[in-house]
Amino acid sequence: MSRRRRFELPTKKNSTFTLNITSMTDMFTIMLVFLLQSYTISDVEMVPVSGVRLPTSSSMVNPTESLKLSISKDALMMDKLKIADIKDADFLVSDLEEKDTNFIKPLFAELEKLSKEGGEKKFIKEGKILLQADRDLPYGVLRKVMYTASMAGFPQLKLVTMVGE
Amino acid sequence: MRRLRKIKIDHNSEFELDLAPLLAVMVKLVPVLLVSSAFVQMMVIETELPQVVSEAIQKQEQTEKPTLISLEMVSDQGMRLVVTKNGVEKEEMVPLKEGHFDYPTLHLKLIALKQANPEVFKIEINPDAKVPYNDVVKALDEARQAHDKNIRFPVYDSKQGKNVETQYMFPEVVFTNMMEG
Repeated sequence: MSRRRRFELPTKKNSTFTLNITSMTDMFTIMLVFLLQSYTISDVEMVPVSGVRLPTSSSMVNPTESLKLSISKDALMMDKLKIADIKDADFLVSDLEEKDTNFIKPLFAELEKLSKEGGEKKFIKEGKILLQADRDLPYGVLRKVMYTASMAGFPQLKLVTMVGE
Repeated sequence: MRRLRKIKIDHNSEFELDLAPLLAVMVKLVPVLLVSSAFVQMMVIETELPQVVSEAIQKQEQTEKPTLISLEMVSDQGMRLVVTKNGVEKEEMVPLKEGHFDYPTLHLKLIALKQANPEVFKIEINPDAKVPYNDVVKALDEARQAHDKNIRFPVYDSKQGKNVETQYMFPEVVFTNMMEG
C-alpha cells in the first residue's frame, strides 16, 4: 500500500511579521481629542455625591477651595460624614432646636468643632461653603442649612450646579 | 575613465510610516488625561463681576435711598416683582403658566426693569419654603444676565469717564428671607 503524503504549506520557521498599528493609532487619536475636551483645570476636585441630582445653570464659575456640604433626599452630609437625616423632605424634629426650627443642632455642633480645630485653613477662616443640593428638595430645607451655617460663622455659601441650559 | 554608477530611484515606490513612536506617546498621554478629566462639569453660582460692574454695585450700596428690586416666589401663585423707588412700591405679578413658574415672562420683565433702572445690580429673592431648589436656581439664571446677546445695559465707567455696555442685569443675589422663622 502506498501512503499518500500530506500537503504542507511552505512556511518559514524564523520569519518575523509587522503589526499594523494604523487602526490603533486612529482609535487613540479619537480618545485623545475626547479626553482633551473634558480636561479640567479647576483647583478644586468636585466629586458628584450619589443620590444628589444637581440643578443645571448657565453659570461658568469654577469652584474654589471650601467646606463641602451635600443635601440628598435622605441625609445632610459634610464630605463623607453624615450630619443629619432627612425624611419626607425635612429634617427630623429631634435634630432641630425646639424654639428655632430653622436651627439644625448637629450641623451647628460640627461646624463649630471644625472652626475650632481646623482654624488654620483659609476657607474655614473665611467661612466658605460649597453646597451640593438635590434639585427636587424644597427651598425650606436649604434655608435651614444656610441659616445654621451663617450662625456658625460660615456666611459665604456657594451653590454647586451642573453645566447646561 | 571609470563611469559613475547611477543610483536607481523608483519614483513609484511606497513606504510605510513608522507609527510606533506616536503610539507610544499616546499610550502615555491617555492615562494622564483620563485621571484629570472631569466627565461631569460642575460650576458654582457666584458671578465673577467685571471691574466696572463691581464699582457700580459699590456705588449703589453707598446711595442713601437705593432702588430695591425683590422677587418673591410663591409655589401656588407665581412670582411677584416688587420695585421700591424713592419710597414708592410698585408690584408686578408673573402668574403660574400651566402650573409652573413662567420664566420667559419673568426674564422679559426683568429686562424692562433693568432698562428702567440701569444703576441697580442687586436683587433680593424670597422663595417660599415649598419652592423646589431647581426653580430657585432657574430664577437666578433669568436674573443674572440677558440671554439675548444684543441686549446690553449702560454702566458708567469712572476710569474711562463714559458709559460702557454690559450684559449683566442683577448678578448680586441676596436671599432675604433666610433669617426668617
